[in-house]
Amino acid sequence: MEERLYDLIFIARPATPEEEIKKILSAIEHACAEKGGKIEKTEHWGTRKLAYRVAKHREGMYVYQQIRTSHGELIAELERRLRVQDAVIKYLTVRLDEDLKRQKKLSERREKRAARRPRRPASAPEQAAAAS
Amino acid sequence: MSEEQKQAPAPQAGAPREGKEGGPRREGAGPGGRREPGAGGAPGPARRGKRQYFRKKKVCKFCVERMDFIDYKRADILSQFVQERGKILPRRLTGVCSRHQRWLGVAIKRARNIALLPFAGSAAGVQAPKPIEAHKS
Repeated sequence: MEERLYDLIFIARPATPEEEIKKILSAIEHACAEKGGKIEKTEHWGTRKLAYRVAKHREGMYVYQQIRTSHGELIAELERRLRVQDAVIKYLTVRLDEDLKRQKKLSERREKRAARRPRRPASAPEQAAAAS
Repeated sequence: MSEEQKQAPAPQAGAPREGKEGGPRREGAGPGGRREPGAGGAPGPARRGKRQYFRKKKVCKFCVERMDFIDYKRADILSQFVQERGKILPRRLTGVCSRHQRWLGVAIKRARNIALLPFAGSAAGVQAPKPIEAHKS
């Protein structure tokens, strides 16, 4: 299977101590190590106000990770582990590589098109001369 | 068929009824209101009220900025396209092109699921975003 890129965001209860978060992160790392995945980025967005109440909380600690793997079932495993954790109240995994591929394709296509079309003021007299 | 072509100033000679926006090829040239059937070019029927059939030129913000990826994590951008009550704004009001409107819907729904945007209720609580490393590779 080719390499896939995933976004993983989870929200922990607002007053979760540091070690809890570390435990969750290490559990994720463990699973990645077992199944073969690489954690590209980890970001702590800190405590943010939630747009709606989740598990009776109005705020949550957001943690964001980007994972690259060629084993799709790793994500199912990660989600399973996150579900088990008490501190995690919400999680979301998003597969990104298709979107990024499409983004790259569109930007490349746009650049090619821009390069192919010569700048108008310069080319107009030439085209007129060539046409006549 | 020829009447329509005379009436509707279709830049594409093909099918004016298709509702094609022309996408990135014609940035800013596509008026938003062409997709509906009925008399093309004439001011709409009475129920439209003050709004003419062809809207004033509304450019798709994403096309102008050439954003190929609408990041669901950027609640600040997404909240511009969401009503006060949290509903997604229709394309006629925001001037977004069809392709970006689709991607926008997906991004908004993802953001709602991760509690960055509300499902219902005021979107006033949307905070400034976290340090973004937008996926602009």
